[in-house]
Amino acid sequence: MKFDLVIAGVGGQGNILASQVVAKCAMDAGYNVVNTETKGAAQRGGSVLSHVRIADGEIFSPLVPAGQADVLLGFEPLEALRYIGLLSKKGTFIINTAPVPTILANLKVDEYPSTEQIVAVIREKGLAGHFLNATRAAKELGNVLLTNVVMLGAFTAVSNILPPDVVLKKLLTMVDEKFHADDSRAFAVGRGLIGKEG
Amino acid sequence: MCKEFMLGNEAIARGAAEAGVRVVAGYPGTPATEIVDLCGGYPGVYAEWSANEKHAFEVATASSLTNQRSMAVMKHNGTNAAADFLMHVNFTGIRAGMVLVTADDPGGLSSQCEEDTRILVHNYAHLPMFDPSSVQEAYEMTKAAFELSEKTEVVFALRPVMRVNHAGGLVEHGELGAESRPAEFVIDRKRFVMSAVVEKESGGELRPKMRHRWLNAKQAELRAVMEASPFNSVEKAPGETGFIGCGIGYAFLKEAERIHGAKLPILKLSTLPLPEGKVLDFVRGLKRVVVFEEVEPVVENIIKQLCFEHKIVLEVLGRSGYLPKEGELSANLVLTAVEAALAGKPYPAPPQGQYVPARTRTQCSGCSHRGLLVALKEVVRGNGGVVTGDIGCHDAGTFEPMNLQATIYCMGSSIPMAYGIKKAGFDKPVYALIGDSTFFHNGLTGLASAIYNGADITVVIAYNSTTAMTGFQPHPGSANNLNQPVAPIEPGAVAAAMGAKVFRCNPYNVEETARVIAEATAETGVKVVVAEALCYLKFGREGRISYTPRQVAVDVAVCNGCGLCVRTFGCPAITLSDGKAVIEPSACNGCGVCVSVCKRGAIK
Ligand code: SF4
Ligand code: SF4
Ligand code: SF4
Repeated sequence: MKFDLVIAGVGGQGNILASQVVAKCAMDAGYNVVNTETKGAAQRGGSVLSHVRIADGEIFSPLVPAGQADVLLGFEPLEALRYIGLLSKKGTFIINTAPVPTILANLKVDEYPSTEQIVAVIREKGLAGHFLNATRAAKELGNVLLTNVVMLGAFTAVSNILPPDVVLKKLLTMVDEKFHADDSRAFAVGRGLIGKEG
Repeated sequence: MCKEFMLGNEAIARGAAEAGVRVVAGYPGTPATEIVDLCGGYPGVYAEWSANEKHAFEVATASSLTNQRSMAVMKHNGTNAAADFLMHVNFTGIRAGMVLVTADDPGGLSSQCEEDTRILVHNYAHLPMFDPSSVQEAYEMTKAAFELSEKTEVVFALRPVMRVNHAGGLVEHGELGAESRPAEFVIDRKRFVMSAVVEKESGGELRPKMRHRWLNAKQAELRAVMEASPFNSVEKAPGETGFIGCGIGYAFLKEAERIHGAKLPILKLSTLPLPEGKVLDFVRGLKRVVVFEEVEPVVENIIKQLCFEHKIVLEVLGRSGYLPKEGELSANLVLTAVEAALAGKPYPAPPQGQYVPARTRTQCSGCSHRGLLVALKEVVRGNGGVVTGDIGCHDAGTFEPMNLQATIYCMGSSIPMAYGIKKAGFDKPVYALIGDSTFFHNGLTGLASAIYNGADITVVIAYNSTTAMTGFQPHPGSANNLNQPVAPIEPGAVAAAMGAKVFRCNPYNVEETARVIAEATAETGVKVVVAEALCYLKFGREGRISYTPRQVAVDVAVCNGCGLCVRTFGCPAITLSDGKAVIEPSACNGCGVCVSVCKRGAIK
């Protein structure tokens, strides 16, 4: 058994917490786990990619090789596009469609592609997956910071490597008790988004 | 034995603690930073942030001479700062086991360069090195390095790369509880006084030459150690093409082997000096080998030389021309190389990638550096001056949209660079912009040099009381040291004592800062402007900020969409939308700096 997960996002979106939850659950289940984060030379708001590698045997490279990821969680559409090459042809993506503009795009040095363009480029590659607006869902729940929990919930709906209740329980052990109710709701909403996206 | 999930840096700290390290000294620098703090958390370990890497190395060596195991921690370019001392300690040797951790950053993911410290430490200083391929190995090698260092009396270096320092994995480790030993300093001037004195008993030879001979004689012993080391191993498989994996290169090679789907002849080489016997055994009968190493062709060249000496005809491919000469390895790069080499083909040119808009770095919203940069820019745009830059969060002011600093090299170079420009005859004002941690690291001597040489420059010290860029480690200008309160050394007081004219300002106040910098510029000689404000990200969490927070908003009736606030200022909380500036309330930290940036007064 080998399962490779990559989470692409922007610093501050909470993707590192999400990757730690998955890694810890896998460890509890007795798997071998190797993970790492690759951050661009960024203070805050830079591109952050988390790699989580799970196997029942040896794992060598801490980085998921291109074309090997079983699941790509894109917390931000441009970052998902940046790392889409990591996803296996047989893999699944879940991409949050709410963009976080780049500084250079704000300066008009770069052009930030439209969500339609990003969706088209990814669809063209013949990859399977889900586009959903996790940020909007989190906002509707009252806090954008719940985006990562929505995404984590969605993850458990596409991959059966870890039971959803185990993932949620682990998440709750890692956050302050006062967020438990919100996190549980966001997790359920995330699970529910899969299959319903337009 | 106990199994635990650890980061590479945690594993190194654990290995050191189990080996009985007593003194750990370092200077923060990604990817090595966490090791010092983590070591300080083990009972009986004294850990410190030294002002720079050379001093860390010196403190650690002195502890070793005092019979206590010690470790010096730095990143690759920090080792350059320590190189002066390195080139002496190799001649003297040490007493209690001592390890130098020099973390490399292939690809320059968070550095100004991607130099390979194996050249400095092994090829040049002739010290032995371990190159771990995994987190587990980083732990084991750290422990082994202490034992071997003590046995051979030379410093052992551990050279993890970013992908080992910051990878997490399950580590099987042992127990703490190394015995403490007496702190004895035994005077042995013949070894530890490195001076050009005549040695009577060796027929009047000079000491440096004698100690050099000692170091050269050590190499045979070190080679024997590496020959027996479990960190080097052969994996047999049929074929005429062999593959050599060094450090993390081995991990990528094993991954590539799995994807390739057939067993390959593999030699794992994780030490310097190389185990020559193992290498010769492996290559005999092969037609070619491909060496995967980060970053320079160090092992590749040694193998070529070895084959030449043993009259072995072998094609040795690697970083000298077959593989890309720059940048990190990856499993995909290695897989491509494996398949090309097996087919006897050249390494294929990489396909042109599709550009995806970059996320460049900038300061946090609410950071005081942004106010300082804007004020300094205002002054230099007015007088045609030049700003030399240094290392720290403020160095992002070099890029879009600020485009301010004209040079960035290494720690402390801003000040000598600035007065060098003046001495070359440049007739407009020149400014050196430097942070506080960097000022204590290597700015002090540059400032002394500037004053002594009658320079006419303005030095701007961004004093935010922490080494923010690497994760908020303290330094001599901070009011604490590894969580102990201390009296900070105030950079302005030091500069004044040296003879500089000192000015002060609060960088959150752009008008005041620009005025103070202009005032300083008007004076002659070496002027120092201390722009003092706490790092927002660190101290904001503790509820301490250097401004009165205010709610800012764009008055859309006044804003004409000129874009100044976005195009030249670049606070991440401000964007342009439908021809007007918009401040995202959830991203704004209310520092108010943007208010003085909008000359139309649209931000209130
Ligand atoms: S970490 Fe501190 S000094 Fe660095 S950019 Fe953020 S607020 Fe500024
Ligand atoms: S807020 Fe001021 S600086 Fe920004 S676009 Fe509007 S007028 Fe220009
Ligand atoms: S928008 Fe203005 S007040 Fe808010 S953080 Fe940025 S510069 Fe400071």
